[in-house]
Amino acid sequence: MTAEPPVLDVRDLSVRFRMRGGRDIAAVTDARFAVAPGECLALVGESGCGKSVLASALLGLLPANAATTGSAVLGGDTDLLTAGERTLARTVRGRRIGLVPQSPAAHLTPVRTVRAQLEESLRELTGARGGELPKAAVAAAARASFPEGHLDRYPHELSGGLAQRAATALALIGDAPLLLADEPTTGLDRDLVERTVDELRRHTDEGRALLIITHDLAAAERIADRVAVMYAGRIVEIADAEAFFGAPGPRHPYAKGLLDALPEREFTPIPGMPPELGALPGGCAFADRCAHADARCTGERPVFTAGLACHHAPTGRASSPSKEPADA
Amino acid sequence: MLELNRITAGYDRRDPVVREVSLQVTAGEAVGLLGPSGCGKSTLAKVAALLHRPDAGTMTLDGTVIRGWRHRAPRELRTAVGVVFQQPRLSADPRLSLRELIAQPLRSTGRRRDVPARVAELAPLVGLSDELLERRPHAVSDGQLQRACLARALVLRPRLLICDEMTAMLDASTTAALVAVVERYRAESGAALLAVGHDRVLLERWCDRTVRWDERDTESI
Amino acid sequence: MAETALARPGRTTRRVRVVTSAVIVTVVALAVLVVPPLAQLDQQAVDLANKLDPPSLAHPFGTDDVGRDLLLRCVYGLRVSLLVGLVAALTATVIGTAIGALAGASGGWADRIVMRVVDALSSIPHLLLGIFIVAMFRPGVWPVIVSVALTHWISTARIVRSEVLSLRSRPFIDAAVSGGASRTRVIVRHLLPGVLPQAGLAAVLMVPHAMWHESALSFLGLGLPAHQASLGNLVQSARGSLLAGDWWPTLFPGLFLIVPTLALAGLAGAWRDRINPRRKSELML
Repeated sequence: MTAEPPVLDVRDLSVRFRMRGGRDIAAVTDARFAVAPGECLALVGESGCGKSVLASALLGLLPANAATTGSAVLGGDTDLLTAGERTLARTVRGRRIGLVPQSPAAHLTPVRTVRAQLEESLRELTGARGGELPKAAVAAAARASFPEGHLDRYPHELSGGLAQRAATALALIGDAPLLLADEPTTGLDRDLVERTVDELRRHTDEGRALLIITHDLAAAERIADRVAVMYAGRIVEIADAEAFFGAPGPRHPYAKGLLDALPEREFTPIPGMPPELGALPGGCAFADRCAHADARCTGERPVFTAGLACHHAPTGRASSPSKEPADA
Repeated sequence: MLELNRITAGYDRRDPVVREVSLQVTAGEAVGLLGPSGCGKSTLAKVAALLHRPDAGTMTLDGTVIRGWRHRAPRELRTAVGVVFQQPRLSADPRLSLRELIAQPLRSTGRRRDVPARVAELAPLVGLSDELLERRPHAVSDGQLQRACLARALVLRPRLLICDEMTAMLDASTTAALVAVVERYRAESGAALLAVGHDRVLLERWCDRTVRWDERDTESI
Repeated sequence: MAETALARPGRTTRRVRVVTSAVIVTVVALAVLVVPPLAQLDQQAVDLANKLDPPSLAHPFGTDDVGRDLLLRCVYGLRVSLLVGLVAALTATVIGTAIGALAGASGGWADRIVMRVVDALSSIPHLLLGIFIVAMFRPGVWPVIVSVALTHWISTARIVRSEVLSLRSRPFIDAAVSGGASRTRVIVRHLLPGVLPQAGLAAVLMVPHAMWHESALSFLGLGLPAHQASLGNLVQSARGSLLAGDWWPTLFPGLFLIVPTLALAGLAGAWRDRINPRRKSELML
């Protein structure tokens, strides 16, 4: 997509959970995507589609009963899936991947001021010492637009927006080339969502790569260059954000259904519920909720080509399934 | 239907989170209460659901002046209001299957015989299969659990439904599905709705009218 | 999700630990229940010709200062200590659960008074209080049980109270109230079932603690009468010989105290992992 080598290159990443009783859960299957410097990729999907598991896999935070296959190469040299916990803890988390957490208030240590936490991270990640620390802390706060006057506050004294900025400031300290934001806007008000997202965008424009995982389509629309839609553990569509949210719109019927469910659009739900990740059908996982489904859909699994996994894929970008008669 | 008059409420009398707020919902009406998170709107919702005694102010429900909250409120009044909370995982007793979860209000009110029929009626409405009904909360997703919590709120056929950030944790499709269930129930029963939330687009699409929190608060913050 | 992933040991390690603990507890239970009635051996049999023999084939644990077989003394001692521990722990749990649930469920001034009493009691060291209680009676099994029970309900009361308090403020209790549940129903159906596993767990965890306590009292010469072999008594009477370099009369009763109680605590820990309701979806999705 871009000439520059990707910051993160994920190929055929699969995560399996072995459950009690020998059951296997296919949480993520054959995920394949890349994020370039200065680019934001939004990974969207319903809760339970496997997107958070994917994030945990990238950070090496999966529980013991999970097994991964495939690769996720960071910066062209480190495979996050095979690197040991030591490597991840010492050289990756914080230093090469900055994590913007889901609930900033819980991410900050409640009994220490924002300044103390920034200084600690600076000492740990940049080696700043003694006299330079206070200045560095102010600078680190400024990068995330955290007001200097609030540095001596404790996390519980901060509003949701400021807590989010403090957490972002911490995530930015290591100057990591990749930012990973896992549902950074859950439970925030619309204004706050927009502000948080705009700030993340600004850090992306400074040349970082941003992988944002969210179920908030409005936030994704505001921030993303590209969108990856995940359904039942698989990425079913990757598209240019502008084309996806505007014209000609999403190509996968599931993605279209997801957009149509928004209150600012049709506000109509997709019928039914996603299949269990422990009992996925042999064919297209979306088939039994899809208006276009035919025998081929239930019989064989669609291959992911040209950014789409759908049997009804139009060969060109020009037409989309939405233009076909909706009844089936 | 519901009349909240100059309600002051909170968890510390010296520092109430709700100050002199008034709000009305007429019969069959859907009102959206819009406000930023942490502003006290959930506390007001709990007052309206007879679950939190206010420090001051009056409330009438269906023409009855409310004199007691929680167990001091008559059972008929408590069950006239159905509530759905923001976090399904905290709103469900972790030991009960989804079927038992939905059936609890029937058992509490001595209508055990209605359990099979009512659950069979509601489960398809909220989209829960027989197999899902047998699972316990830890084995289902947030969306599936919230579907069960909505069914539980509807099982006694409330005349007023209070949805406190019901969809804040959910994706677009599940949100649309749950709102559709609420609206179907209201169309058939004529129940009123108080939907509390922070998503303006959602509440404006869903409700007959929306009130912004700061407009209601006479001591504007 | 990160916390669970990091904090919990691997499944295999946990399983090995549970199985080991279970095996030890079973062996101990069998030894304690079956050996004394079947063995027909006299633990009090004095053999002055063989006093303070080091471990040998005839006496695997050696003999004590009057030539009694230490293995047999240890089994009998464990039997007494275990009985005292079990009864005391159960009694303490019943007292603690009742008081804690009452305080937590009623709240307000009743809660405040009870908790102040609890605070006051817990500011006195257990052992001191225990010694005080034992000193009021003649030495025997029952004073020791009463003393341990009366000093150990406090932590259970705290656990149960805080559990009730945290359950009480959960939205599912609100939902039950809104669904028409009566006060009694809320307590019986939603609060108590949530608390009982914790109380039971506290009881099991308390058995080792109570056994140690009994041993401590006996070691100080305040517990069981000297002729009754409890583990504490055995260690106590071995003090003299330890100074002379005879290690076995101290080591074996000590191991008999430590190994089974640790195994019991291990089993209780595994139980705790099972009963603690998973608040998140199993898959962390």
